[in-house]
This record gives sequence, structure tokens and C-alpha cells, in this order.
Amino acid sequence: MFLRILGESFARNPRRKLLAGAALALGMAVTTATLAVALDVGDRLAREFRALGANLLVTPQGDTLPLEIGGVDYRPVDDGAFLSEAELGKLRTIFWRLNIVGFSPFLEVPVEVAHEGHSTRTTVLGAWRGHTVAVPESGGETFVTGIDLTHPWWQVEGRWFGEESTAQTECVVGAQLARRRTIRVGEEITVRAGEQERTLLVVGLLTTGDAEEEAVVVPLAFAQQLAGRPGQFRRLLVSALTKPEDEFARRDPGKMTAEEYDRWYCTPYISAIGYQIKEVLPGTEVRTIRRVAESEGHILGRVSGLMWLVTLAALGASVLAIAATSATTVLERRGEVALMKALGAGNGMVSALFLAEQVLLAFVGGGLGYALGTGLAHVVGRTVFGMAPEMRWGVLPMILGIAAVVALAGSFVPLRRAARFAPAPILRGE
Amino acid sequence: MFWRILLQLVRVSRTRLLLALAAVISGAAVSSALLNIHFDAERKLTQEFTTLGPNVVLSARASAGSENHGAAPLAEQSVLEVIAQNAGANTTRAIPFLYLVARANGRAVIVAGTTLSDAAQNLPWLQFERAPGALGERRACLVGAKAAAQLGGENGAALELAYGEKKVTCASVAKFSSGGAEDNQVLVPLGDAQELSGRAGKITLAQLRVKGPAQSVENAVARLAKALPAMEVRAIRQIAQAEGQILSRIRVLIFATVAMILALTALCVLSTMTALAMEHRHDVGLMKALGGEMNSVLKLFLSEIAALGVVGGLLGWAGGVWLSAWVGRQVFDTAIAPRAEVLPLTVALMTGVALAGAFPLRLLSRVRPAVILRGE
Repeated sequence: MFLRILGESFARNPRRKLLAGAALALGMAVTTATLAVALDVGDRLAREFRALGANLLVTPQGDTLPLEIGGVDYRPVDDGAFLSEAELGKLRTIFWRLNIVGFSPFLEVPVEVAHEGHSTRTTVLGAWRGHTVAVPESGGETFVTGIDLTHPWWQVEGRWFGEESTAQTECVVGAQLARRRTIRVGEEITVRAGEQERTLLVVGLLTTGDAEEEAVVVPLAFAQQLAGRPGQFRRLLVSALTKPEDEFARRDPGKMTAEEYDRWYCTPYISAIGYQIKEVLPGTEVRTIRRVAESEGHILGRVSGLMWLVTLAALGASVLAIAATSATTVLERRGEVALMKALGAGNGMVSALFLAEQVLLAFVGGGLGYALGTGLAHVVGRTVFGMAPEMRWGVLPMILGIAAVVALAGSFVPLRRAARFAPAPILRGE
Repeated sequence: MFWRILLQLVRVSRTRLLLALAAVISGAAVSSALLNIHFDAERKLTQEFTTLGPNVVLSARASAGSENHGAAPLAEQSVLEVIAQNAGANTTRAIPFLYLVARANGRAVIVAGTTLSDAAQNLPWLQFERAPGALGERRACLVGAKAAAQLGGENGAALELAYGEKKVTCASVAKFSSGGAEDNQVLVPLGDAQELSGRAGKITLAQLRVKGPAQSVENAVARLAKALPAMEVRAIRQIAQAEGQILSRIRVLIFATVAMILALTALCVLSTMTALAMEHRHDVGLMKALGGEMNSVLKLFLSEIAALGVVGGLLGWAGGVWLSAWVGRQVFDTAIAPRAEVLPLTVALMTGVALAGAFPLRLLSRVRPAVILRGE
């Protein structure tokens, strides 16, 4: 009987229900969409911040002091400690391996560059570009990395060197050096380090905005040969996707309880990722490049905070609108309430009927709103970041719950008031 | 007569109108808050990017064909004044640097001469173990963590730097860590570095930050290049390029989100107002049956609804200003300033939506009163 009356009430006056349902659906769509965007904005923007380059620096423990200005180390090759290139594949075996966007090892060799009779003292910078690394214990998986991933702002006029040794080793000359010595693409230069003398083909001119423009960039393997240090490098720059640090992240992992340690380890804080890198590369010191990491954390924190508050505001507005709508619809039906009471229905029965209606409406409207909101979030995600936000099914029950609570809260007071009045005056129209 | 009926109308359906007003106010509050945030957020976020530090570098231009013995060409310190005059508003002071390789405790170390107080302020990623105190008075130096570990520098201790025959003692060390190249360096006052290396009045390069979008950075670079033709003026690509990309991405994000919420909120309010308008069906039918002209009947209800839109819009706008100020304080620690354009926009939007909600009433003009009164 109850269900029949419920069904009839939906069939009889669809228009009013439609409007109430529309308000519910739209209100919940706003909430779902903003929630989906707010939940994802941290991850998506973190990827954008990789344009700033590496945020972790790995150097050998027990190294001497680097003589570094703006990205180039001027130490002689027999000074200091070195790291082994063969170990680098292990970076893709750490817990947060998928967050490692790229990594680049570097080896500098002080040389004399000769070109058309002029000799210049400068540095040869050995690096990877589009280099394939084998990942151990993964069944043959490989990873391509290099300066294109850790230094995305480096630009080359001409082209980059190929790493495979063809007829002649290729190199890229820094733009400042090239301008001073009038070195052009396609010409040859001779580099001399100690006893060794090699000729290189210039295939590109490099602009970076920093000290590398005075250097000659070559494949790492060539620099290793020149320095007499096969398979070694001086420092490694790593670009990783991280979560901004909070109070918890800054604590000392040595002082955490087992549970806290697990939580810290399993969150992509930059300190946790650095710690994991140190675990697989023994004998290294891993430091956070604060200029990059802190700005990222700071700005991401602000944008995230903004999106969350905007979500809250949207939720607040839709809650009010929905409550107002459901209160209005119940108010309209005072006549029906009075009629039912006149026919003998108890207060409880009438309330139950109306509340059931509201809940049903809330579920249907909320469900539609969730679908609409998810679709909109997809559109926004694609427009802004080029990829849709993750589908979060856990949000659905929450949305339905909010819709139901709000619809009930809105209709509660008018229902109480209507239930208290005597039927006759209401039926008369007062 | 018109006003009397209107007032009666308001008095009779007070509750319903209040509910509709609540819906309009909340919609208007969110709209005005979002519009304020949208107009202001980019400016606020640009401020936040100052943590990235300098984004323009000026260095001496090496003449073509000159012999390079590994030492970078030097510029005159006087260029700093020229920079200050031509950089324009919204820029930080240019920080000079003079690099040399000195020896401390028998080890080679890169010494950078600079204005220490500017460095501490404009390179915010230098994290000091102890607050460095006043950096203008004594002969202080800032020592990077790795340099300190190798050279044995302790906070507050003295450190002697030697270059060839010359020696300079820095009276008080302040250790910092940065994770970058500065960790390997010792920062000393510019005058000390110049004295030590015998290069009086010279600097290797100067860095400054141009605040604002990518276009302002380009304009500043062009201005400085024109004022200082002997120097190489460039944007620090790592910082400037990434900043431009990230800012534009955030701009699109905020715009898309605000547009989406505004559209949905407007529709939500629209459905509420339509529900309200539909409740007037009987009144419209009755008035027509009593002989009222459709136009004057409609005018009555549209005025009621328009008044609702305007009043709700105004009150909501005020609420929105408070809301956006609160959001600004929570997120940016400074309130978001309300824009003048937002008030007419909000009121117009809400009134427009309200009137659009009343549109179905026009459709009743063709229906006979009896049909309406019967309840169909």
C-alpha cells in the first residue's frame, strides 16, 4: 500500500518532481565535479612542475668539495669520488619507481678545445640523452632517460648527438662558446685531455641560460673514455613526482614508530623517495634540491587549498539551493497532507511517505548528478591537463548520502508544521 | 493597484519567497565569490612564485675571438645602478655575484662575492641552521653545508680564505643548506671577494626577479638589453619557462572550474525559480478568469521574481565578498580584494536566471483559465 501511494505520487505530478530532481541533480553535479577536480589537481600539477627539472641530487659519499658554478663542476678528473653507471637501473626498482620521471648522470672533464687554429680551455660535459637503461629483476624491462627529462629547458639548434658510436663521435657545443670561437654546426673540433686527443663532429648548438653554454656536451661514454673512468660518473640528477611535504613528512624516519614509518615510506614525499634511492644506491648522499622542491610544495599547497575551498563553497551553495527546493515542494503539498490526515492517516504515516519520496528523489537526482558531474570533470580535466581525472567510485555513496540528508533536512521542518495543523482549515485553503 | 497586489502577493507566500530568496542568495554568494577569486587568484599566485628566486641573469659579454683562460669575463659593478633604473616596477633588486676559486684550510673552494642580505632574502631556498643575524655589519660569510663539512666551518667561528698571496678572514660563519650548487660554495660580501681576487669594482654576473607573467619578463629583458648593450641579458630559462607554463596551466584550471560551477549553480537556481514560478499557475489562472489582462498579470509576477533576483543578488554578492575574503585569508594569508565589476555581474546573472525561470508563465498566456483552475 505504502509503495503504491509512493509510486502514484511520482506518476501523478511528474513536473514538480522533475524540477526538484533537477535542482538536486545539478547541485550534486557541481559538488561531484569540483570534488573530482580538487582530488586530482595535486597529481596533475605535480607533473607540470617537472618542467623545473630535477628535484633530487645524488653525489658520492666521501667526495671532495665540488667546484661547481651554475651546473658545471670544474674539478680535475682525478679529484673526488665517483659512482657506478651500472647501478642506475636500480632506480626503477624502488617502491616509488613509477614516480621517477627521469634521471641523468653527469661527468665533467676539463679539456682544451681546438678549432681553426684557436685553442680554448673549457669543460666537456658527459651526459645521457635518450639513453636506454636496463632495469634489473624485471624480466628485460628498459627505461629511456636523460637530459631531455631532467633538463627540459635545454634547447639545441641543429640536433642532439646520437649515443650509438657511428663514424665519428658527435657533440653539442654551448652557444656562448660557439659564438666566441665561431664554431658552427657541421664543423669539427678537437678536444685534448691529458694524453688523449679526439676529434668531434658538432651537430648542434646548445642554449640553456646557464654555465653549460660555455661547455661542450658529449655522450657520457665518450667523456668516460676521455677521463679514463669507464662506467663512472660524478653526480646524478633525478626528477621525481612528489607530494608536497607537511609536518609529518619532515620528521626524522629514524624516530618514527613502525606504523608511521610505513605511512611515510608509502607516501611520495620527496624525503621518502630520496631515502629509497639511497637504499638502492649505497655509498651515496641524496639531497633535495630545495629551490625546486620547496617552491613546488608551496605553490601546490596554495592551489590545492584554493580548489578545496572552492569545492566547499560549491557544496554549501548547492546544499542551500536543494534544501530550499525540497522545502518549497513540501510546502506546496500541504493540501495533500491535510487530505491524507482527513482520510485517517496518522502523522507517522504521512511523514514516512513524504520522507520516503524525498529520499527516492535524492537517490535518483544524486545519481544523475554524479554522472553529470563526472562527465563535466572529464571535460575540465581534458581541457586543463589533457587527461581526465581518475574515476572515483567511492564518491558516489557520499554524494547520494549528502543528497538524501540535505533533501530530508530541507523537508523536515515544513512537514512537521504541516503535520501539526488540523486538516480542515488547510483543505479550506487557509 | 499594482503595488497593492504585489505587496499582498509577497505577504501571502512569505515562506515560499523566503525559500526562493535563500536559494538565490546562496547562488549569488558562490557566483560573486568565484568571480572575485578568478579575477584575483592569478595575481596572488604570481606572488607565490617568488620562492623560485631570480629569473633574469645579466653577465658580461665575452668578445668574439678573445682568449679564454677559463676565467669568465667580468662586468663593472656600476651596472647595478643602470639595472635598478631600467628594470622597471615589480622587480627585485639585482644581486651581484663575483666567482673565484680560493683556498680555505688547504682546500679549493668556490667563493661567491655578493650582497649577503639580498642573497639571504631573495634566495629563499637557503636554509640556515641558525638565523644569520644582521648581515651587513660584521665580516660575515655564508657557508654551504658541503663546504662547511669539508672545510670544518662551524656556526659563529672564523674562516680564512686565501687567493694567491692575499688572505681575507671572515669573522663569523653562518651555515646553510640548499641541495643545489650553493652547498659547495662560500658566500662572502662582494667587497671582500673583490679585495681577495684583486678585481676591484667587478662582478661576474647579476641576477634579479621580474614578477608577473612571461610577457613582463620578456619586456624587462628587452629593456635591460637596450640599456646595457655590452652585457648579455637573458631569462633564466629553467625558471622563467617553467613558471610561464605552470601559471598558464593554473589559469586555465581556475577559469574552467569557475565557469563550470557558475553554469551549474545558475542552472540549479533556475530550477528552483521555475518551481516557484509554477506555483503561481493558479494565481495566474484566477486573475485571468477575473478579467485581468495577461500582460499586466505577467508584469506582476515578473516584477516579484525580478525583485527576488535583484535583492537576492545584492545580498548574495555581499556574502560572496565575505566568502572570497575568507578563502583568500585561508589560502594566501591575504584577503582577496573585491572587484567592482563583480557586483553588477552577479546581480545581472541572478536576475537573468530568475526571469528565465519565470519563462514558463508566458506559456500560460495561451491556455484558458478554466483549464488552469481545474489543475491540468
